[in-house]
Amino acid sequence: MARSGPTSPDRGAARRPPGWLGPGVLAAAVVAWEGAARAGWLVPFYFPAPSRLADTLRELLVVGFPQGVGMGTHIGVTLGRIAQGYALAIALAIPAGLLIGWVPALDRLALPVVTFCRSVATLSLLPLAIAWFGVGELSKVLLIAYACFWVVLANVVAGVKYVDPLLVRAARSLDTGPAGIFLRVALPAALPRAFAGMRVALGVGFMTIVGVEMVGTIQGLGALILEARTFFRSDVTLVGMAVIGLCGLALSTLLERLERLLLPWHRGLESVRR
Amino acid sequence: MSGRRRGDVWLSVAGAAGVILAWEAVARSGAVSPAVFPPPSVALGGSLHRLSPGELGQHVGASLLRIGWGFGIGAGLGVVLGIALGWYRWLAALVGPLVELVRPIPPLAWIPMAIVWFGLGEPSKVFVIFLGAFFPVFTNAYKGMTSIDPVLLRAAQTMGLAGPRLLFQVAIPAAMPDLATGIRVGWGLSFAVVIAAELIAADRGMGFMIMRAREFGDVGVIVFGILLIGTTNLVTDYAIGGVIRRRLGRWHPI
Repeated sequence: MARSGPTSPDRGAARRPPGWLGPGVLAAAVVAWEGAARAGWLVPFYFPAPSRLADTLRELLVVGFPQGVGMGTHIGVTLGRIAQGYALAIALAIPAGLLIGWVPALDRLALPVVTFCRSVATLSLLPLAIAWFGVGELSKVLLIAYACFWVVLANVVAGVKYVDPLLVRAARSLDTGPAGIFLRVALPAALPRAFAGMRVALGVGFMTIVGVEMVGTIQGLGALILEARTFFRSDVTLVGMAVIGLCGLALSTLLERLERLLLPWHRGLESVRR
Repeated sequence: MSGRRRGDVWLSVAGAAGVILAWEAVARSGAVSPAVFPPPSVALGGSLHRLSPGELGQHVGASLLRIGWGFGIGAGLGVVLGIALGWYRWLAALVGPLVELVRPIPPLAWIPMAIVWFGLGEPSKVFVIFLGAFFPVFTNAYKGMTSIDPVLLRAAQTMGLAGPRLLFQVAIPAAMPDLATGIRVGWGLSFAVVIAAELIAADRGMGFMIMRAREFGDVGVIVFGILLIGTTNLVTDYAIGGVIRRRLGRWHPI
């Protein structure tokens, strides 16, 4: 949580809370949790102690859950599915978005379909995907692709559509042809928006994979946490959740860094369409 | 201008009609079995024949009731905490890290623990929807509160406003557009979450409806359910957007 803007300005710098307060609260919470668990105030099945979770993490890394399927495999399988679906979505959404954004009639034509498809909850397609493609990998990858596709598409379309008309007119007055305007004006101007859409899409894909993996597989982080519940291993579920959170955080941080590296002139685009 | 706009509407209608007609034509051409890829007319007609209006209403009602509870509690708490943490620094320093720690975990990942803590009944679903609504609303409310133009606050202070009056009469109205964004994102996420929760464990609701249809191999009902879910989401989102626009005025882009 970056503290950028001013909070209430009537509170001076002298009363700014010390930096150790946040980490201190976290440490205190963990100690209290451990203490309450050791004192027997917490039912271990509902709230396993932090020390127990540390043991579980070691077990997941060494033995795996189910036995033989280590944490590395779960993470690798999940990330692999996301990567495939995400790549497919981007490969389709960028050309489609450029076309729809550049041709106004096409934009109008596609509007109702795009609006409706974006409103369809991706996971509601899960039963249909299973009926069509079975419970295997294809269904999962296609659902991730669906979830990511519309977010990327909407942002590429918006990026091209709302290119500053002044830029286009300036290029035209410099005798640039339509192809030149598209390639050298519209495309670079739409890039930041498109990239922001791709960043949000990865988050959406990550959210979706967890749900998708809860059906018909034992590999992957989503499968891990649901499978653990049926074996009454809530400790495995909690460790799995933490790993999911860390993976999501790592992915979004990575893309943010990449964005800053590739588009150094455009920082912090706020208006991203979901 | 109005002539052009009317042309735009016709193009959009043509686009929607074209997709539906193409779907109907492909499905009827016999290239794919209609049991696997039913034409829209058959999916709709067959489903309405199989599901009584009462049953249908029960599924839609169950889903909306769950969202109503989860979103109501989540958005309410998100607004209050977002504003409070955005206004009081010590509170942000105290509670902020805890929220940030939990935030990266997707709401759907809480489903197994929700079942452990609350059982298979309604509270576990409401809890997961609560999480889906809380984080976008909280994050946007907090962002809105911390990015208020400081000139606005200083001007109000110069005119003698302080404390709660500064908060309620200047700061919160200034943060409204961000709050509205959070509420719409939170609603959309709540919708996605309830369907997922109903797929995994439920005995009624729209997600349950399509998952049961899959067990019976009834693709028509699945297709109908998907269209029903999309329509319900679209209509409710549009209604919320309308309320926000009326309260905030048309000039705030959301």
